[in-house]
Amino acid sequence: MRRAALTSVLALAFGAAAPAAAEPTLVLSAYGISQDAFKKILYEPFEETCGCELVVEIGNSAERLAKLEARKDNPNVDVVVFADFNALEAARKDLIQPLDPLKLSNLDKLYDVARDPIGDNMAVGYTLYSTSIVYRTDKITDMSSWKDLWRPELKDRVAFPNITTTQGPLALYMAEQAWTEGQPSPGLETAIGKVAEIKDDVVTFYERSSQIVQLFQQEEIWAAPMGRFAWGNIMKLQMPLGWLLPAEGQTGGLNVASIVKGTEQADLAHQLIDMWLSTEVQTALAEALVDSPVNREVELSEPVAQLMTFGPEQVESLRLVPPEQLLENREAWLETWNAKVAQ
Amino acid sequence: MSSRMGGLMLALVFLFLIGPFLIIIAAGMSAGETLAFPPQGLSLRWFWAVFEVESFRASFVLSIVLAVGATLLALVLGVPVAYALARYPLPGGEAMRTLLTSPVIVPAIIVGLALLRYVVIPLDLGIVPALFVAHTALLVPYAVRVVSASLANLRSDIEEAAVLLGANRVQAFFLTVLPNIRNGILAAFILGFVTSFNQVPVSLFLTGPGVSTLPIQMLWYMEFTYDPSIAALSALLALMSMAIVLLAERFLGLSRYV
Amino acid sequence: MFTSRTTGLMLVLPAVVFIAVGFLAPVLILLAQSLRLEDGWGIGNYLAFMNDGLGREVFWRTIKLAALVTLAAAVIGYVAAWAIVETRPERRGVLVGMVILPLMISPVARTYAWLVILGRTGFLNVLITNLGLSEEPLRLLFTETAVFIGLLQLFLPLMIISLVSALENLPRDVVPAAQTLGAGWIATFFKVILPLTREGLVIGGTLVFTGSVTAYITPAVLGGSKVLMLETLLYQRVSVANDFASASVIAAILMVTTLAANRLLRRLATPRRR
Repeated sequence: MRRAALTSVLALAFGAAAPAAAEPTLVLSAYGISQDAFKKILYEPFEETCGCELVVEIGNSAERLAKLEARKDNPNVDVVVFADFNALEAARKDLIQPLDPLKLSNLDKLYDVARDPIGDNMAVGYTLYSTSIVYRTDKITDMSSWKDLWRPELKDRVAFPNITTTQGPLALYMAEQAWTEGQPSPGLETAIGKVAEIKDDVVTFYERSSQIVQLFQQEEIWAAPMGRFAWGNIMKLQMPLGWLLPAEGQTGGLNVASIVKGTEQADLAHQLIDMWLSTEVQTALAEALVDSPVNREVELSEPVAQLMTFGPEQVESLRLVPPEQLLENREAWLETWNAKVAQ
Repeated sequence: MSSRMGGLMLALVFLFLIGPFLIIIAAGMSAGETLAFPPQGLSLRWFWAVFEVESFRASFVLSIVLAVGATLLALVLGVPVAYALARYPLPGGEAMRTLLTSPVIVPAIIVGLALLRYVVIPLDLGIVPALFVAHTALLVPYAVRVVSASLANLRSDIEEAAVLLGANRVQAFFLTVLPNIRNGILAAFILGFVTSFNQVPVSLFLTGPGVSTLPIQMLWYMEFTYDPSIAALSALLALMSMAIVLLAERFLGLSRYV
Repeated sequence: MFTSRTTGLMLVLPAVVFIAVGFLAPVLILLAQSLRLEDGWGIGNYLAFMNDGLGREVFWRTIKLAALVTLAAAVIGYVAAWAIVETRPERRGVLVGMVILPLMISPVARTYAWLVILGRTGFLNVLITNLGLSEEPLRLLFTETAVFIGLLQLFLPLMIISLVSALENLPRDVVPAAQTLGAGWIATFFKVILPLTREGLVIGGTLVFTGSVTAYITPAVLGGSKVLMLETLLYQRVSVANDFASASVIAAILMVTTLAANRLLRRLATPRRR
């Protein structure tokens, strides 16, 4: 009798410590921005259908890639989402495994660029966004070019993405286009040199896109290069902020989802990714101004369509940097950056 | 230096040391959506909002459990050391002392990194046990120092008397020594708890999916939100610390042990 | 019955084993890794770090800021401690309690307060622009000044406490005696007060200096990527670049810096024998 009581107490104590034992756990590694919206639109509905617990780890892409690498032999993440060039690097380092296209019912609905962006089915795109400059329309007028970030009025009022972020290389790529009059060098020396010239006037080199919103809100900055996915949060500030359509064009990025090599939850991982790509979730994420869709079946209300990177023409017009090219040159950019800007 | 001048200087120093907390409390009481000074209207809504954030609740619980657990274990390990230092020749002398105080000297960020790299990852140890080990190690020197201070005032003859009256050494310790150093142990507990609860560098690398301590979670949250909730939470934590310090000072004279 | 030596050993053994295995061993492995090269062992990682302009700059910035904070804390600390010691003993306890109080509050909260104060729309800038001291709000965040202010507020209490106990032990009549003999305040301080309170100053100085060198939150939040210090650089190297070679070098440099500061200052504390 007493032993039975003791056993049940122990069971209670340890059971309470590990309630997840009965339910499988799926771990997703994601960007930190807009987590509230993701929770409502994707995570909670997914948990209802999968009979599992979804744990989300957040951080910027470089941080999360470094964690995957450090834990290569002992992964604690199942699904990872980051930029296409991060996925390519992860694939080359043998950190992710191929997706099974047969388990992704929504794959056929995607734009071609998103379907198999880095080859071998190692990743699938879930959002395509443009990158440009956001600025205070009440403080500066006639912005028209990437070069305008260097205008004297923006001294002490401009932020730039750090080179280690996803946005950093993209912004430098466009700056190189602008400052070399369309004769860019693969080393981006001109752009990095230009950033170095104003490094003391740059408020900060931001590490995560979420910081940008705060910097605008506290009026630390009046302009910064930024990805479209942060635009929804920027609009919530209700400040006079505009999205520049620069003469040199906009660049952009493709964010992709991949499955971590050695996961024990491959089926659940596919389920989560497939749900992410579904017309329903893609539409809801776009309507919440979180992520622009890659699913062709998505239809958006007119005002939202204006705010997102949306429709085949827009998708076509982005000057995307091929992930191979980015990966190939990044070491050199980092070196130039560390020598000229970081110190 | 005239005493009026000294008073003025002191007031300025306290303005610098304590003023920021008043500002943070004021910022947290804003009724507006965004952090601003002066606050837009007064309200306690952000103080309630803090409790709605699930990640704060979970990490608060972990931080409390960690702080209590690590402090208790540090005392279990540290009180015998303090006692041995007071009563017996220390084997190994200076080397042993250096070893026991090393957690204070080693920069905390290195501890977290070393544990992650050479214990957690290769042995597939959970994050929570690793945090527990790191925090305990960090607290042992505090426990030893504070308990030693209260043992120093304790004469050994009551203990000898207990032994003469037939108690064994262990009984003598629990009957005569422990009641007399109770305040020192309590002070060590409070200091240890506060130190662990506020610890950042050790825990910096020791977070995993779904596992994080409250200060680390706050550092994250600061980047992703722009409302006054972090100010409100900071104010709550500051008030909690003030309450602990005031109570401890009132009943134990905590400042003697710092 | 055990000998007293064995009893002593058994009492300290659990703590010693715990710290040696759970703490010291991983730390020593990490420090040893800094000498690990792709082919064997050597100081190559250190040379690489010191040859890298960024590494050098971050190292010197860390030392410079920590030294400035220590200096400022010493100056302010003497004034504050002197004023505290001058008050009646029953008020002294309250004042010391007020100095200790900030130490008990989460450094995250303490640093966040400065984010609110130093921001472009923050308290200080509102004050500055309203007083007409500057037309435009000043850029204070993400500068060395911001990190300096944050660190000073974080560690000043440690200096004040050390100096209060040192000044309390100062014989009551030495200062009046010096002044009767015609010494001014400056001479009295350097000839009388400083030598007699040197130990307290050194203890406080060590705490403030090593605290500043090994602070993470303040440079991370108030400095950001433009004002990297050793700890934030270490974090960046590990978490962004997965570069353990240079991370272990930075760890070793942090370790050596704090040990050296401890040693050096302790030597300064012991009065020279003649």
